[in-house]
Amino acid sequence: MLMTWIILLVATPMFAGIATTCFRGHVSAQRFIGVAALITNVMLALSWLLQLGPGGVFVQQVGGWAAPFGITVAFDSLSGICLVAANLVGLAAYLHSFGSLRPRTEKGWFHPLFHLLMMGVNYAFLTGDLFNLFVAFEIMLMASYAMLCIGASREQLAQTYKYVILNLIGSTIFVLAAGLMYGMMGTLNYADLARIVANMVYAGDPMPTGFFAVSLMLVFVFALKAAVFPLWFWLPDTYHTSPIAVCAMFSGLLTKVGIYAMCRLYPMIFAAPGVREMSDNWIPIVLASAAGATMLLGILAALPLTNIRRILACTLISHMGYLIFGIVLLTDASLSGTLYYMAQHMLVMTALFLCCGLIEIKAGTDDLSKIGGLCKDSPWLGALFLVASMSLVGLPPFSGFYGKVLILGEGFGSGGVFNWILTGIGLLTGALTLLVMAKVWSLAFWMPGRSVRNSSSYPSAKLIAAQTRPGYLAVTLLVSASLVMALGAGPTLRITDRATMGLSEPASYINTVFGRTVFPPSIAARIEDSRARRLASEASAQPTREEAHR
Amino acid sequence: MTLLVSICIGVIFAVSFYLLMGKELKEVAMGVFLIGHAANLGILAMSGQPLMVVGSLVEPKGPPILGTGRPMVDPLPQALILTAIVIGFAVVAFLLTLLVATYRRTHELWIDDLAAEGNPAFLIDGATERKNAAA
Repeated sequence: MLMTWIILLVATPMFAGIATTCFRGHVSAQRFIGVAALITNVMLALSWLLQLGPGGVFVQQVGGWAAPFGITVAFDSLSGICLVAANLVGLAAYLHSFGSLRPRTEKGWFHPLFHLLMMGVNYAFLTGDLFNLFVAFEIMLMASYAMLCIGASREQLAQTYKYVILNLIGSTIFVLAAGLMYGMMGTLNYADLARIVANMVYAGDPMPTGFFAVSLMLVFVFALKAAVFPLWFWLPDTYHTSPIAVCAMFSGLLTKVGIYAMCRLYPMIFAAPGVREMSDNWIPIVLASAAGATMLLGILAALPLTNIRRILACTLISHMGYLIFGIVLLTDASLSGTLYYMAQHMLVMTALFLCCGLIEIKAGTDDLSKIGGLCKDSPWLGALFLVASMSLVGLPPFSGFYGKVLILGEGFGSGGVFNWILTGIGLLTGALTLLVMAKVWSLAFWMPGRSVRNSSSYPSAKLIAAQTRPGYLAVTLLVSASLVMALGAGPTLRITDRATMGLSEPASYINTVFGRTVFPPSIAARIEDSRARRLASEASAQPTREEAHR
Repeated sequence: MTLLVSICIGVIFAVSFYLLMGKELKEVAMGVFLIGHAANLGILAMSGQPLMVVGSLVEPKGPPILGTGRPMVDPLPQALILTAIVIGFAVVAFLLTLLVATYRRTHELWIDDLAAEGNPAFLIDGATERKNAAA
């Protein structure tokens, strides 16, 4: 049965990484293996996503140990959406690198690192427990550290240290929080955690002491990955110095892994029904404020910049705020909108960064004060950039619109002055994004040409054409995928609705992971179940209680 | 004993954060090396007899793998620590390699000087003097 072998999504990039290591120096063989692996993964993820019915989850217990003890990997609609988008983004960035990467860099360790990074990302989307999420993060980060120093210019090395040290502190806090969570709950499996938390709520018990502190530690780690407001300073600098294909891939994948982890854990554990309303739960208010600050400050930071990469990095940060806002609202429609927006944002943001790479090849720089008139000699690039930036802004015919409308609509609908303020900030951010992207597009493409290119120091037109060809293919792939999402918004939103159902009503996820019914689907049955459990345990475990507390 | 371990963890965390905030990359590398130990010790301190939460009650259960009722130390946190140690090892090895590569390329191990090169905005007063004083 191929269908249950979801671990293939992790195994394929791993084998591709090993194979490209063996073929080091043979660039065309490496490229062939890499493209084949990435296409296989896109196809596998897409076909499994389309096979999933409502409430469907594919589960595999690696090593054969039963659920809460073994290593669980689970593929539900949420993972599926992320995996399809992530592998598409990976494929596009990989194709783009064929043209934009310097041959010397490509002959080094670029190919193996790329696939190992994909392996980490895919594993993070698939894994079913907190500790393996940590392992996946580490695989991903290790590859990303090394990729950031590719080329190793002096500036780049200084930025790499910033990124490495910050993420090391993040990882340490993550592993400590995972340990504390285990000590508190006796499990690290998402499904088991969700079950225990729900049972505590239905039995009317308070959360264990320190539960919210540990949850906040985890939220901190994910927010660091996602570059949310107070923890975003590392992003523009590191994205500024690395090769463009690497930077585009990071923009699409690494930040979204943090958002994914938040999407998975926030509705099921940190703010599960009943937990969210507890008076000592500060996480929703902290996250909501962070979301507002991220949206507004991110886009304000982008306004005065003239460097396309930095502008894109700042808009990327600002749009993380929308995603966090959608998660914090925690209604079905807002979560569904968030997932849709996340998938399209991966595609569009990477497409924009890759366009920026093409501009750099064509004009020799990405400084807006030095380039212009690109529309004349590359109209297709102008069109692609325009479509991608309008999707980013969220104008109606393009894909960003649907996600934004759902998130902001829920923001207005859910009431409360705070939500209204955040929705207002969201609308303002949209308008400012339009301003920023219009500035970039008109300066780079529409203004009369003042291209800095002169004939002596730049490569010939033929060489430029050869360098940009794979890039065009990559950007066209991503932009058309985002257009497919926009035109097929109905079916896509049905898939995100299914993913949302799995988060807000986790019974089917929990029971499929365990392989038996441990969590009754109806709420009344759940309350009854937890009451019976409590009575039974009170009757039997009374003597050992003090012993356990000691 | 619990108190002793807690104090140890606190001290190691404090020392490693102090080192991490240093301006010289060798100090930072030592900080990274120590902070991993602090986290691992923290997990070790958390572990004890395997516990299971049922309702409001915390009750001991057998180790998950053997299934005997005999009380013994929970093996899972130790597995977590082993994994974390291996990962930490790799990260420290990477960081030291990066340090060597940086030194070979730039002959700098002071983060201010490294950042200042090519971008005068990062130049912080006194960085060079401090380095000379240390040398």
